[in-house]
Amino acid sequence: MFSRTLLIPFGVGALALIVLPAIVTVILAFTLYDAQTAPIWRGNQNFIDLFVIDPIFPIAARNTLIFTAVATPLRVLGALGLALLLSPERRGARLYRSGAFLPAIVPEIAYALAWVWVLNPVYGPLNQILGAFGLPQPAWLGSPDTALSGLVLAGAFQLGEGMVILIAGLKAVPNDLYRAASVDGAGRWARFWRITLPLIQPWLAVLLIRDLLWAAQGTFTLTRVMTLGGPYYSTLLMPLYIYEEAFDRFRFGLGAAATVLLVMAAAAATVLAFIALRGWGFDDEA
Amino acid sequence: MKPRHNPVWGWLYHLTAITVVGSGLLILVFMVSTSLRAPGSIPPPVLQLIPDNPSLAAYARAFSDLPLARYLFNSAVIVGIAVPLTLVFASWAALAIAGMGRRGWRIWLYALVALMIFPASAFWLARYVLFAQIGFIDTVWPLVAPALIGANPLYVLILAWAFKRIPRELWESARLDGAGTLVLWSEVGLPLVRPALGAVAVLAFAQFWGDFISPALYLRTDTRMTAPIALQALIQYDRTQWPVLTATAVVLTLPSVLLFLWVQRTAWNPGKIYERVEA
Repeated sequence: MFSRTLLIPFGVGALALIVLPAIVTVILAFTLYDAQTAPIWRGNQNFIDLFVIDPIFPIAARNTLIFTAVATPLRVLGALGLALLLSPERRGARLYRSGAFLPAIVPEIAYALAWVWVLNPVYGPLNQILGAFGLPQPAWLGSPDTALSGLVLAGAFQLGEGMVILIAGLKAVPNDLYRAASVDGAGRWARFWRITLPLIQPWLAVLLIRDLLWAAQGTFTLTRVMTLGGPYYSTLLMPLYIYEEAFDRFRFGLGAAATVLLVMAAAAATVLAFIALRGWGFDDEA
Repeated sequence: MKPRHNPVWGWLYHLTAITVVGSGLLILVFMVSTSLRAPGSIPPPVLQLIPDNPSLAAYARAFSDLPLARYLFNSAVIVGIAVPLTLVFASWAALAIAGMGRRGWRIWLYALVALMIFPASAFWLARYVLFAQIGFIDTVWPLVAPALIGANPLYVLILAWAFKRIPRELWESARLDGAGTLVLWSEVGLPLVRPALGAVAVLAFAQFWGDFISPALYLRTDTRMTAPIALQALIQYDRTQWPVLTATAVVLTLPSVLLFLWVQRTAWNPGKIYERVEA
């Protein structure tokens, strides 16, 4: 209906900033490259190195898997809970929504730094609160047993963007449907499962994928500021591992190979999420 | 879902909302309260929301230890270029996508999600090589470049949804009046998707303003660095100087919050990203 020329800037950007770098990364994954001298072809040796020689890569992969499996559902369910609570137009709802959204726009480096302080074992507010209630006060980022939980906690409080997306979905559900269901005698629970959930599926799907990708790939700033992967590699997640391989150890080929594996895993997870939620009207008029 | 008449439900609602929203905001409260302590003072052994002898000394230190004002100005230049460009390019792409037939719409939705799959870490080195080729290193352009793709494919998606809710008849009647694509975009489309545009503006601002990887990778000259780099430098310099660190974090956070409060008055609040439009 509108001229396709409107897509030119986006198309150029997508090619130059995403597609082209992706191709370069795939090629580099098969080379030995230190960014000083020309890359040397080494076939699939990088991939073998990752699994056989490098002792750290399996740890980073395992941590990322755990983090993704825990943080993704927490963030999606958290955003859904917030959206369900705050989407009805009640007194004060606007104010509550603004308050709930606010943490989403704190610059990530500042947000991560604030969490380092909150999780400080001795002076941090969280342990002071726990202590006041006589609860155990873990060392959080100081101990390999709890450090990853600390990261999950920081991630689980970033719900603003997800909430906004889901409120938009909830508002798109026609009120007539609820009225008709009430007339037919459907209770709250039935209305939620039979009407709300199916009709906000497109938004829920986008949110699930977004949070999945964030947990797998978007944690660089969080780990870099909060833990640097420690203690004892307990919080080393893939983005930080890739960064360190490339920019600290100048093993760009190895970093690229790890990136390729990460993207493939993320793509597989995305496709799985899609299949699992088959029949969702993702492409429908929302 | 009409509210029950029993007042207990009302109280329960407010109690839950305040607890949930409040716990999310605590992080900001702790940030501000720590920044009001005197630099170098010993942290209190028990929780204190307002420190003894609150002072702004940590803020003075943040601005004197580093050229923070300069860095803030540099950041302002970058968002000043990048955010308006993001809104233009994202809404162009979104409008074209929203106007497509069922098949085109479907293909583009999948394409946008597919673009989201590639992580930033895949781009760092490859983009560096690319930017170096065209002489962009140590300029603002690598930092502004993501505006071309609307900062994030997700934002194009949000805008496309909003455009799609505008009834076809509105476009067609405007077209009969002789409006071309650009006029349709600026006179018909944009005013009707103001909430979505506001949401994208706030989120894109937060993304460009808080970006601390791009300046670290693509900038060289000290005087061109941006504000997040200042915080990163302070963290590396002294990880225990909490009042100064949190003061800098507050300064870094404030512009995002102010923009959000302004946009919320004029265009968008987190309760809606589109308006119902009747033909």
